[in-house]
Amino acid sequence: MDPRSGSGAPRVVRILGVDAGSGSLAEADHLLASVVSGLGLAGDPVAATHFVRAGAPHIALTIEVPAGAEVDPAAVGSVTGPAAGLVWGDLRQGPEDRVEGALAARAEHGRSGRLARFPGISTLTGTVTVREILERSPITEVSVLMGAAAAPDTEVATRDHVRPQWRDGAVVLVVQPVSDGKVAPFEVPNPTPCCAQH
Amino acid sequence: MGIGHGHHHHHHHDDHSQEGPADVAHLLDTSIADSDLSPADVSRRGVLRSAGIIGAGVATAGVLGAGSAAASGGDDRSADPAARSRNDDADYLWLAGDHHIHTQYSPDGQYRVIDHVRHGNAFGLGWMVITDHGSAQHAKIGVEKVNPDIRAAREVVNGTLVFQGLEWNIPAAEHGTVFVHPGDNEVAVLKEFENSFDGVVNNATASTPANEALALAGVNYLADAVTRKRVRDALFLANHPARKGLDSPHEIRGWRDAAPHIAVGFEGAPGHQAAGLPAPSGPGSGRGYYDNSPNASSFPGYPLESYRTFGGFDWMTATVGGLWDSLLAEGKPWWITANSDSHQVYGDTSVRGAGSDFNNNGFYNAPEHGGKPDLTLGDFWPGFYSRTHVGAREFDYAAVMSALRDGRVWVDHGGLIDTLDVRARVRGRGRGVTLGGVLTCKRGDRVQLTMVIDLAAGPNWAQFVPQLARVDVIQGDVTGPAGDRDAFKAPNTRVVKSFDIDQKGGSVHLTYELGAVDRPVYLRVRGTDGNRTGAGALGASIDPNGPQMDVLGSADPWKDLWFYGNPIWVLPS
Repeated sequence: MDPRSGSGAPRVVRILGVDAGSGSLAEADHLLASVVSGLGLAGDPVAATHFVRAGAPHIALTIEVPAGAEVDPAAVGSVTGPAAGLVWGDLRQGPEDRVEGALAARAEHGRSGRLARFPGISTLTGTVTVREILERSPITEVSVLMGAAAAPDTEVATRDHVRPQWRDGAVVLVVQPVSDGKVAPFEVPNPTPCCAQH
Repeated sequence: MGIGHGHHHHHHHDDHSQEGPADVAHLLDTSIADSDLSPADVSRRGVLRSAGIIGAGVATAGVLGAGSAAASGGDDRSADPAARSRNDDADYLWLAGDHHIHTQYSPDGQYRVIDHVRHGNAFGLGWMVITDHGSAQHAKIGVEKVNPDIRAAREVVNGTLVFQGLEWNIPAAEHGTVFVHPGDNEVAVLKEFENSFDGVVNNATASTPANEALALAGVNYLADAVTRKRVRDALFLANHPARKGLDSPHEIRGWRDAAPHIAVGFEGAPGHQAAGLPAPSGPGSGRGYYDNSPNASSFPGYPLESYRTFGGFDWMTATVGGLWDSLLAEGKPWWITANSDSHQVYGDTSVRGAGSDFNNNGFYNAPEHGGKPDLTLGDFWPGFYSRTHVGAREFDYAAVMSALRDGRVWVDHGGLIDTLDVRARVRGRGRGVTLGGVLTCKRGDRVQLTMVIDLAAGPNWAQFVPQLARVDVIQGDVTGPAGDRDAFKAPNTRVVKSFDIDQKGGSVHLTYELGAVDRPVYLRVRGTDGNRTGAGALGASIDPNGPQMDVLGSADPWKDLWFYGNPIWVLPS
């Protein structure tokens, strides 16, 4: 399937790329929520984080915008601040290196990267089964770390934080065993903080 | 200074019974010409040439192979069979230690130096390194203020050597222990090092080529401080290397190659071993606080499982045929350690001192009684759970540093065993060489690896007697410098022998026969209580009963105990 199309019928989307030099996944997710909120889209769009390794490594964002929805670059810029790069169609806004980051992220959208928002994400809270995850979201595979695909009835303790990845066109959620026979997403919502702490 | 030239011999005692371990890699590095080597090293390189590992006259590192063994050996000692077996008859004083400990001078610390030293001493440590985090406050205040506390602890507590070090924010990478031999300049050198090379102090944490170069400059600074006799000795070991994927293979190789006598290893097991105890009676995090995900600064080649511990050990060490083995297979000495990383102790009833102002003062006020145990803390006291045992020739600071440098080091968790004596030797020819050593022999000699293990004679600090259930021997081919500096696999390394241990108490004697050796190999050993084993990270054919990935929020460290020994090389000529 075309990962950009979601699970429904093919539709035309355009991708907004933003690079504000976010240093951590939490920071990137926070910015992404602000940008998505500012766009005023109905429902949860597919929106992702991408590692940019040129220069000082950091994280850029991509957001799918449905056909017909309008994006006001100035409004997005007011959310991200003037130091961010923004690409929308042929438009380039912001410092050159950040525009490069946003372009690189946009080129990877649907190929690699981490989905921080997607349709159905608000229903993946508490404990859900693998089957429910596959039914309610664009996630195409729930894979156990160092193992095989998880069985449909496996219970997933989501920690209200589900962040699948694009891998070869598939949308894969990697999980790992936790207690009580459940699995949980590999990515922990509040990992032990970095830098001069431990 | 050229790569591999940095091995300093002036700390070694006169001892002709064992080859200096740091010699191997620079002998294998064919970018170093014979003319740049000492006559003795030229001779030893001849051994490798005749063994077929080094192509004669090849000027480019990485062009090796059995087909290019053109030069004659030229080993002037080969006429003497007794010399070839290189017996190590020294009697070592095995001292448990910990090189990763935080105090009230760390922004996430709490305790006085003396709190740690008294506990470490009581728990059996012979040496400790105080390693507060590099930071603006520490560089300005802490690095000086901690020194009188350390000097006082040296006076007050008998039987435990206390080094001053710091936890270096390695530019572009993770953290690492840096420490020096005590002396008049210990503070001055550490302070200058921190101000010049700490990643946080110098805003150089980002993974960029410039910051990677700054890290190498830092290693070279330490080497220079020793060369110029500003300090008698200095060492650097990388801490929790796989925790966030920040230490790329080429960075690790780079630090080592910059100064192999200074950059000597990494933590085989991180501290924070209580962090995986389940909530609410524990922190409920990852063992070692290994609960992270890849970030933009992470090395993209590392798999997701590298961000977790396996049997409490870092993935780089726990994976048979993994990153550590890839260094050993190159012939690069690189040693593992196990430490507490103690900041705040699981179940402790003390709290940070009231009215503390770390940002302005550079320390927390002395801890106070808090009234109830805090079960959300993830660390153990030094010596309580993690131990780095070094074979020192004497009980002094220089001997501990030499032992670490030479790799006479094994590590354990939870007091799994009391002693480990590993020897590689030519059958019938003396005691052979021990951990970190190089056994040179003739092609076709019958070599054996012997292990004498004193099982735990009494309870550990959790008040039970650990039971060793299995010992594994791991062997790999020595293939010379890797063409890819980012390689992290050793395809010819695997578990070659396992011993089930049924004996309760006393000493266990184990022997693994290598048979007639026809190529350079290295060997290392590992043991476990057998509570959590299964196929290793690279598959059951390589490691059928390896450590298992620790479960987030459900990892009782006392029920999953391991020991690891550092390697021995066997080089037939």
